[in-house]
Amino acid sequence: MKMKGSRREFLKKSGSCALGMAAIATQMHHLGTMTAYAQRAIDASPLGGDDYKALVMLYWAGGNDGNNMLVPNHSDATISNYAAYSALRNTQGLAIAQASLLPIAVPRLGGLSYGLHPSLGIQTQNGTTIVNNGIHELWDLGKLAILPNVGTLVRPLTKAQYQNSSFQKPYQLFSHSDQTTQYQTSVSNTQAFTGWGGRISDRLTAGSNPNGLVPMVTSISGAQLFTSGQTTLPLAIADAGTALNSVLNPQGFGTNPTGSTLARKNAFDALRQIDLSSNYIGAASHVTDLAMQANASLQTSQEVTVTFPNTSIGRQFKQVARLIKKRLDLNVNRQIFYVQIGGFDTHTVQLSQHVSLFTQFSQAMRSFYEEMILQGISDRVTTFTMSDFGRTMNPAGSGSSVGTDHGWGNHMFVMGGAVSGGDFYGSLRPDGTGNYYPTLTLGGSDDTDTGTAPRGRWIPTTSVDQYSATLARWFGLPQDAATLSAVFPNLANFPGTYSQLGFLP
Amino acid sequence: MYPFPGGNAMPRKFMYFGIRPLAALMILSAIALSIAAQDDDPDPNSPTPILLTMNHSSRVIASPGIAKRRDDIARIAPQSFASGQNIVVFATNLDLMKGEGASAFRLYAQDSQRHVWRFTVTDIDEMSDSPGIYALTAKLNDEIGFWPEPTSAAVSLYLTWRGNASNPVKLDFGQLTDDAADLPGTVSAPLADALSQKNKSSRRVAAAAPAVNQVGYRWSGDRARFQEQTTFGMTSTQDNSIRRIGLRRWLNMQFETPYPSEAYPNDPPKPSTAPADCDNDQTVTPDVPETCYRDTYSMYKPQTWFMRESLYGNAQLRHRVAWALSQIWVTSGVDIQQGRYMVEYHKILSNNAFGNYRDLMKQMTLNPTMGAYLDMAGSTKTNPNENYAREIMQLFSIGLFMLNQDGTLQTDGNGNPIPTYDQNVVTNLTKVLTGWTYCTVAANCPNYVIGTPNYLDQLRLNNTANHDLTAKTLLTYPGSTTTNIAACTGCTGTAISTYAANSMDQALDNIFNHPNLAPYVSRTLIQQLVTSDPTPAYIGRVAAVFNNNGQGVRGDLKSVVRAILLDPEARGDAKTDPNYGKLREPVLFATNFLRAFGVRSADGTALFDGYITGRGEFTGMSQIPFMSPTVFNYYPPDYKVPGTTLLGPEFAIMNTGTSVTRANFVYRFTYNAIPIAVSAPNSPTGLSLDLTDLQTIAAGDSTANQLVDELNRRLMHGTMSSQMKAIILPAVTSITATDTLGRVRQAIYLVATSSQFQVQR
Repeated sequence: MKMKGSRREFLKKSGSCALGMAAIATQMHHLGTMTAYAQRAIDASPLGGDDYKALVMLYWAGGNDGNNMLVPNHSDATISNYAAYSALRNTQGLAIAQASLLPIAVPRLGGLSYGLHPSLGIQTQNGTTIVNNGIHELWDLGKLAILPNVGTLVRPLTKAQYQNSSFQKPYQLFSHSDQTTQYQTSVSNTQAFTGWGGRISDRLTAGSNPNGLVPMVTSISGAQLFTSGQTTLPLAIADAGTALNSVLNPQGFGTNPTGSTLARKNAFDALRQIDLSSNYIGAASHVTDLAMQANASLQTSQEVTVTFPNTSIGRQFKQVARLIKKRLDLNVNRQIFYVQIGGFDTHTVQLSQHVSLFTQFSQAMRSFYEEMILQGISDRVTTFTMSDFGRTMNPAGSGSSVGTDHGWGNHMFVMGGAVSGGDFYGSLRPDGTGNYYPTLTLGGSDDTDTGTAPRGRWIPTTSVDQYSATLARWFGLPQDAATLSAVFPNLANFPGTYSQLGFLP
Repeated sequence: MYPFPGGNAMPRKFMYFGIRPLAALMILSAIALSIAAQDDDPDPNSPTPILLTMNHSSRVIASPGIAKRRDDIARIAPQSFASGQNIVVFATNLDLMKGEGASAFRLYAQDSQRHVWRFTVTDIDEMSDSPGIYALTAKLNDEIGFWPEPTSAAVSLYLTWRGNASNPVKLDFGQLTDDAADLPGTVSAPLADALSQKNKSSRRVAAAAPAVNQVGYRWSGDRARFQEQTTFGMTSTQDNSIRRIGLRRWLNMQFETPYPSEAYPNDPPKPSTAPADCDNDQTVTPDVPETCYRDTYSMYKPQTWFMRESLYGNAQLRHRVAWALSQIWVTSGVDIQQGRYMVEYHKILSNNAFGNYRDLMKQMTLNPTMGAYLDMAGSTKTNPNENYAREIMQLFSIGLFMLNQDGTLQTDGNGNPIPTYDQNVVTNLTKVLTGWTYCTVAANCPNYVIGTPNYLDQLRLNNTANHDLTAKTLLTYPGSTTTNIAACTGCTGTAISTYAANSMDQALDNIFNHPNLAPYVSRTLIQQLVTSDPTPAYIGRVAAVFNNNGQGVRGDLKSVVRAILLDPEARGDAKTDPNYGKLREPVLFATNFLRAFGVRSADGTALFDGYITGRGEFTGMSQIPFMSPTVFNYYPPDYKVPGTTLLGPEFAIMNTGTSVTRANFVYRFTYNAIPIAVSAPNSPTGLSLDLTDLQTIAAGDSTANQLVDELNRRLMHGTMSSQMKAIILPAVTSITATDTLGRVRQAIYLVATSSQFQVQR
């Protein structure tokens, strides 16, 4: 942590405002990228949107097995070490070899080494690095933080409390749909019909984007509960496979319609302004209006500089980067984005699936990070991950088809120039037991299971609510009790500095 | 002023329903033909409720307490109301059925910002000395608490009943407003006028009643709406048929119509690992047939079959109800490998669409596709999987929270919903369902082929050692039976098989008899077929039929479907309740559109082959048959339209992206045929519309009025507003009259892309 402190000190002294801390920090570590630096200097001066901030949710759909993404890489006997990990997974062929782990030192745990899955680092193809170096490097740059053992919770929970049937727990644990809903709504005790991204937008749109040409929230992956608020309707558009000027373009009108085409266009638009006494018709017209308004503002496109991987998640991040580059045109000071990569429900053939999926999102995240640097805005854009749940430590099956089943607590990444990276964040159990990283013992203190065949489903130490609220606080959500309880109704159940896990200022 | 018999002219807002000159001719000539045929069908139209106002303004007559007599009502002074207060308002022009009470009504307030509040009507009393006038009591607590209190002093108040809205009236909120300050859009209906009517029936039957139809035959609006609810879209043949025999006879015929019209895809399944002659790789071993991979390892065959059956099948109602049930009992090709696997699953839906829900539950539980999708297949006592046990309760039968029989939530002393079950029930039900897996014992499994997963025969307890023999405790509720299943101590072999089968039946009975089942299933089916946010009264009427079809049978879906479709809240030429109707989901939006215009192959010589499910114009709307993204269906039944208090499940997939895709879908098929150009071997037929009949209409009327009227009839069952027509007409006539195709396309584009059409009302 000392290193990070000194870096911050330097930045304060430098007095740079327009240039993000991350930009300079990264620059210091990439002395070779002078073109990028020059580009930033050019971009930086006209930036009027000094107040701009964006949150980008990367959702791992299906329940990512964090146990193989973040692995103990030490032999300290007082805390779950590599041997403990290996003992639970190697026999069935699911353990990642220690030698292949990408080491990260964790200051909060006295500098102990943990390891990221090898696919999160540099990937080469025929001897050439593909696209970029992945997210592992960002740890040492202090731009990638990890929250171990995050999960849905109604209130802090010990194992004894978990086993007490009258103690409040999230409804329908281990169910994809319910747990996805709970991550996206940050409400785990009852069904909620708005997402926490949407609820933030409900409260910030009038103040931050009073004349925004697009909604505050954008999904590049269809309709998502996370993006819907009481009044917030998200922009939902396709990935970068479609140019921005086409994502919402009604066909058949051309660029400058005349004659009967113009008459059709005018009538098409006029029909949305009548018959609004029906609330369903009004709602449908409102959505289409929003699309038409956004379409008009997306006609001039700005292309990004970085080469993004041509994968679904790569194209989604690229589309986000395009929109961020257009933020001044779009007249928005705050934006929330949703991107998603699916395929994590690895009941079988997890090893090969992980190689593919981890490579995809790691490459896409890094490309996005670099593009934000080039846009001079990396300290104003924070990317974070969520997923349905973690998975069982105890493998399902064995051999080439080995996989894992539905679990609970899981490990999450937060990436960005504003992130105090290079460390673990989170909370401990209410009774002070546990550790940031779960204790890798089947049937042990962190496992929901007991009895003869415990599976290793970790009881989370840090709640989705704390995690989300820390992001929201940085984003500018007012911290008064009324606002917090409206956006994160269960947050007050987590005492102390519940919306300040510390990974963001 | 609101019209009473012998009263003044109709207010302008009702002029939409005025008879247009051309249509009038058609009506006159047709009434004689239609009346005789429709003897079995009563007038589908319910009267329109009227909220009574002060004599010289549109201010509602309202008091905090019930006025007993006509003189008391007349003396009620103007007053203002506040949140949480009781309010009594007075309505007339009602015709209540037996048992129809307060829950059939909803009271709405709306302010100038279009924020809407909904108040529960708690009581309704007919005035003893003035029959036909009713006092309705409500509490001014927003049911859903969505918007904060209105800030304006006056809000618009209206009463809804059976999908129709009363005249909007002025309610003073927080402070009294000036009498002269009439609220724009409100309409007076003076108490004095109502009282001056000599008898009850004339108070009841006011001039505002049936918004008589504009284009077409008597009740043709209702008939078209009926087809939107029962089929995949109106066609002229179908419409003529229903006109001849009436709704009820048509329903009875549909219950018996053979299904499917085109046989289900019937190819044998293949091994999970595609063999060399079916692996989409023609280089080493050519596939036989060349389309083998597509036909086997994708949803292509069931999807195209589904679309053909939707567009051309005769048993439309069964297909439609099966489609509705498929959105409750969800499986998906996202996780299921072979198209053929979905066929057996779909057969269960269609076989039981007019059967009993209990049979549906049993057959689904034992269906291998469901077993694979929700992991019951292979769940064992040592490695149990809770997925199916959880979802059969949460999504397929009773839901998460205790319901009243009218579908409203029960709450505990603190106003919180009451969970229907807890994790213990899930764990125990999971135990009941352990041991079942794919049928792989040749002697018992006629369709078993070694090396190929058996998705054709029901799941089987191949290894009795995998079944959990401990005691289980299931759902407990008032009157619950088969809650406790005893342990099978010391059981072996066939004793376990018998025990496991009996336990499953007991568990399914335990769920089937849960009081939530009727309101939960009834509401979901109403939402699928008729309207997104039905009144508690409507749900209650249907749930009562679900609980007992009249012959003491519970769960009879035929009776339930009939009750849903013939309910007065479903019937009527037009529905004026602003909160009535549903967004057409993409599949119905597409098929409604295509059927209205004679969809056929691209070259016009044959039927369309149904291959639309792989085309971006369609898939971009976010609803691909057999490909639900999750077990939560394409959209959840509880989804509320953002910014409103209204349930609107289909709006969950109506966003900026899909709204444009919808418009582009219409554009694509109105202006272009999909060509055959896709290379062999796939050879889809392509798709085109037959617009010749519309061109003929366009050619015969250079004003384009007839053309727009015809589209109004086909797509909007005559509800097109005069404003809407006034916008469309000049756009159509901007094209020269001789270009009839151009005019037809212009008109179709504008009607079919409009929100007015996208919402089925």
